Amino acid sequence: MARILANSYHSKLVKLRRALDFHKEELKALDTKYDEIVERKLNAFLKNANRRLSKLAFEACDKNEYARFVLEEKLQRYDVKAYMSHRAVNHGAAKRIFKAIRDGASFDDILTDRAEKMQRIAEKRAAYVRSLEKDRDSFISKTGSSDSKAYDAERAALEAAYLEEEKALKELYQAKIDKERADIEAKIAKLEDEISKIKASSSTDHSLPDDVLLSVKGLKMYFGGLKAVDDLTFDVKKGEIFGLIGPNGAGKTTVFNCITRFYDATGGDMYFENKYGEVVDLRSFKVHDIILQGIGRTFQNIELVKEISVIENLLVASTRSYKTGFIGHVFALPSLKKEEKLLRAKAMKILKFMGLESYASWYAMGLPYGILKKVEIARALMADAKLIIMDEPAAGLNDSETAELTETIRKIRDKFGVTILLVEHDMGLVMNVCDTVCAISFGQMLAIGTTEEIQQNKAVQEAYLGVKEDD
Amino acid sequence: MNRYLQKNYALFNREVKTDDKFTEGIRKLVRTPSLQYLLFGVLMCVVGFLATQKILPYSWQSAFASTFAYAIASIGFCLLMGYSGLASLGTGGFIGIGTYAVHYVMVEAKLPFFVALLAAIGVSVLIGLIVGFISLRIEGIYLVILTLALSEILKTLYAAIEPKLTLSMKDALIFGQRLPTTMSLTLVMVFLVIVMIITSNLINSPTGRAMLAMKNSTAAAQAMGISLIKYRLMSFVICTAYASITGVMLMMVMRSADATDPTGYYALITSLNILAAVIIGGYKSIWGAVFGTFIMYGIKLVIFNQIPFLANNSLIITLASGVLVIIIAMYYPGGLAQLLLEAKTKISAIIKKMKEDKYGKDLG
Amino acid sequence: MCVTAIVTLAITLIFRTSFTTNFAQGVISAFGAYVASFVITKWEFPVLIAIPVSMIVSMGVAILVDVGLFRRGRYVNALSKQIITMGLISIVTGLTPVIFGEVEQYMINSIVKDNFTIDVPGDVDISVTYNALVCVAITAVIIPLIFILLRYSKWGLSVRATASNEYIAGMMGINTHVVTAVSWGLAGALGALAAYMRASEVKVVTTYFMTDYQVSAFLAGILGGFSTFHGPVICALLIPLAENLVMAIFNILGLSELTRWSKVIIYAIALVIIFAKPQGIFGKKIEKKV
Repeated sequence: MARILANSYHSKLVKLRRALDFHKEELKALDTKYDEIVERKLNAFLKNANRRLSKLAFEACDKNEYARFVLEEKLQRYDVKAYMSHRAVNHGAAKRIFKAIRDGASFDDILTDRAEKMQRIAEKRAAYVRSLEKDRDSFISKTGSSDSKAYDAERAALEAAYLEEEKALKELYQAKIDKERADIEAKIAKLEDEISKIKASSSTDHSLPDDVLLSVKGLKMYFGGLKAVDDLTFDVKKGEIFGLIGPNGAGKTTVFNCITRFYDATGGDMYFENKYGEVVDLRSFKVHDIILQGIGRTFQNIELVKEISVIENLLVASTRSYKTGFIGHVFALPSLKKEEKLLRAKAMKILKFMGLESYASWYAMGLPYGILKKVEIARALMADAKLIIMDEPAAGLNDSETAELTETIRKIRDKFGVTILLVEHDMGLVMNVCDTVCAISFGQMLAIGTTEEIQQNKAVQEAYLGVKEDD
Repeated sequence: MNRYLQKNYALFNREVKTDDKFTEGIRKLVRTPSLQYLLFGVLMCVVGFLATQKILPYSWQSAFASTFAYAIASIGFCLLMGYSGLASLGTGGFIGIGTYAVHYVMVEAKLPFFVALLAAIGVSVLIGLIVGFISLRIEGIYLVILTLALSEILKTLYAAIEPKLTLSMKDALIFGQRLPTTMSLTLVMVFLVIVMIITSNLINSPTGRAMLAMKNSTAAAQAMGISLIKYRLMSFVICTAYASITGVMLMMVMRSADATDPTGYYALITSLNILAAVIIGGYKSIWGAVFGTFIMYGIKLVIFNQIPFLANNSLIITLASGVLVIIIAMYYPGGLAQLLLEAKTKISAIIKKMKEDKYGKDLG
Repeated sequence: MCVTAIVTLAITLIFRTSFTTNFAQGVISAFGAYVASFVITKWEFPVLIAIPVSMIVSMGVAILVDVGLFRRGRYVNALSKQIITMGLISIVTGLTPVIFGEVEQYMINSIVKDNFTIDVPGDVDISVTYNALVCVAITAVIIPLIFILLRYSKWGLSVRATASNEYIAGMMGINTHVVTAVSWGLAGALGALAAYMRASEVKVVTTYFMTDYQVSAFLAGILGGFSTFHGPVICALLIPLAENLVMAIFNILGLSELTRWSKVIIYAIALVIIFAKPQGIFGKKIEKKV
């Protein structure tokens, strides 16, 4: 019963928070919301202005100069076309010469044929040039001299008008933005109020020390008689990069799967300070609800959807952020489009940060492995994860890619303030990037500490290198 | 003086994109899937009208009607297989839901058409939920066989509740009006177009992406917050509902159904044909599903029956469709959609080759 | 019942070695029955020759499918194999009348004529044909024989190895191609035998007359668990038994008009069992790794 109550409480909270997140995202995008419209209107203005100026520019220019310019341009265009026929003639001649050589015949006539054709092309061009020159002369004789004063005056006037228009538009939309901001802020305040009411009505009795993000206490996972994880306890501090190491079969991945709820742990507690700042018991969530608490993960073998583009892969992670339901999706309602636009902008921002924006519309299939790893990390960021769990991020990467990954991991920690928990075989990466390392073997803790401490630790050395036997 | 000539007469030296609004708009409109579907529907209605006027062969109108009725089920199957990565051989049984709904609601209870439609959808949603729950526990080929068994259960159930086995109805009433047989194609097209638009919207929405993620890897999908139970149930419910709409449509078009017929609506062969249609067409494309259904059902009714030799030797058509299915399964797993793509790349390669033959290779 | 058991065995053999459900089992079996009836009516051969001839022809067809189609495809996986077997249905359906002419003229005689009646207390007498007894006898010989072969012969060992992991079996020096081909051949032959047994009861051969048995066989396979050989066969025997039992119960309770629901009831029970135990009654559970 308590669990059902807890669930209903969660589902209500989830809904409110989804709305809250949506409005926050809206707020973020508000500043640039009308940029497109302003741009379009200004462009329309410019188009008109340019059309008028082009007429005056023609009046203003030196007619001799102008005529020469037109002639050159036309001739250039003609030459591009002529190039193709040159090529065709040369190619045909070369082919026939090869044939002639093979057949043992003389190829004098081929050469004369080619020369004739070239001659004809050249004659044609000369005729064209003559006709252009005739046009130019008649044009010059018809039109008068240049007058640039009207053009300069008009141009100055238009420039001023343009600036004025820009200012007016910006002011207009700024007013709109301000009004909308006030609206959204009111909505946010209301939602926050409701959330705090719900939170006040249900007290959470869990608490964690201030600097701890995730606390695992006495975690046990038994598969029948096999104790994959046995009584494991550790804390992950906020903002640190935490490495979980151990020999093969030590139960590292099992710990992961327990935290992300793929396995239901046999015993033990896991507390986590979620992205809304409250401490939750992870064991009360279903596997697909974990991401809502702010835990994202990457996989050892990349698990991206191959049939959709990179940016859509990021949007998969925000499936739960959509307020619109099934009906909205079926009829492609405007509210869905609005949300989609917001989330796409957010995804694009993350991709830009990861340096992947040029791949945004590429299909995930066929991209290099290192890029896909980054996309997976970006996907975890897309869900506003506070803790990102990485399962062997360096697996399958070469040295330079691993170095890049190290850089990326540091960068996202610093920029997004996420905490990172990684399971890794690659000791180089672990010792390079981790703040705290926890070594486990056969499901039990060997040691925990800074990288230096772990390197010095006897038990860890034994687990990795085997027990030293006396001779 | 040259500065007046080389486009720097423009204000702030800013170039403005001068796209033609009209052609751009038309292009955008043509690329809109819903409009394409609508156009297709109107086109087929025109064909149906011409057929009733005997400008085109008269039999085309019922041939197209039954074919496109099956296409509705194919599209549901396409969503199930191509997007959710699940498979089912229960289509035949699900079609039965629709035919029986029409029989009980319209023939026995004399209620209007839309009640029958709602009843069919309602029952099929229930059945879809059952299959969806089963799919959470059983996967892959086992699920396929299990849906086959479920279809068999439905079939025996139909035989058990209606011992006379053959359904038939004289008049089909819509909005209180008798539906003339000449309008059945229009009715089917209305539903087909609605189904196509809905499905296309759905697969391009977050739901479609979630389904794809689920198909790709259930673990990754769950980690991304996608609830397996929700989307599996959803896809099965949609697939079953579409199949039951097919049943309703078939009943409205053909006006009879026979549960004992080994090649009838509920038989295994129907489920297999729908599966084959989706495979032939390419299992991720709505157009492919429609086209595949046309090959499996329509090509025989529409084209071959017009050719006297083939009409007399209908088994040759059966043979040919079998060979076609095998060839596509063996060499073109992406279906005709993939075939078209390959043909396109090949043709462009040939054109390039021809150009090079004429002008020589471009070295610069 | 005997027919279902044999068909189930055939389907299980193919499922285990080729990892696909053979939807064409029914039509290939029916093809065998056509051959038998052709041999009997046109060439007037005795039944005892016709049956082996039909089995050999079916075997040939089945091996042809495996060698000629399954191994040639560019992208052959479980799904495309299924589709291929579906295409086969169309091909065999289309070919049969071309080869054998009109369908209706083929009638099949019983293996043994005459029948006798057993008196049971109650209103209904059970009529038993000698033909049915012969069928039971054949089944009782064939199925244990194949199980003994599977268990103790070298061929059986390679089939089981292939079934558990085709790739590793291949590396261990087992010619998996031969194993699958032989399994297909055996399945074809068994199908033809079953089809003849069925035909001798209903006296008429049609292309689709084995489809129902094929579907029951799939259900039995799932219910028993395809991961074993014995599970499906036992379930294939159990399902009709249970169905008759339900019918008998209805009859005894005097609810004879409800007997037509018995099949639905049995199927529903089977469905519930499968839902509770997805790996089948006899199947082994496979732990999934995340």
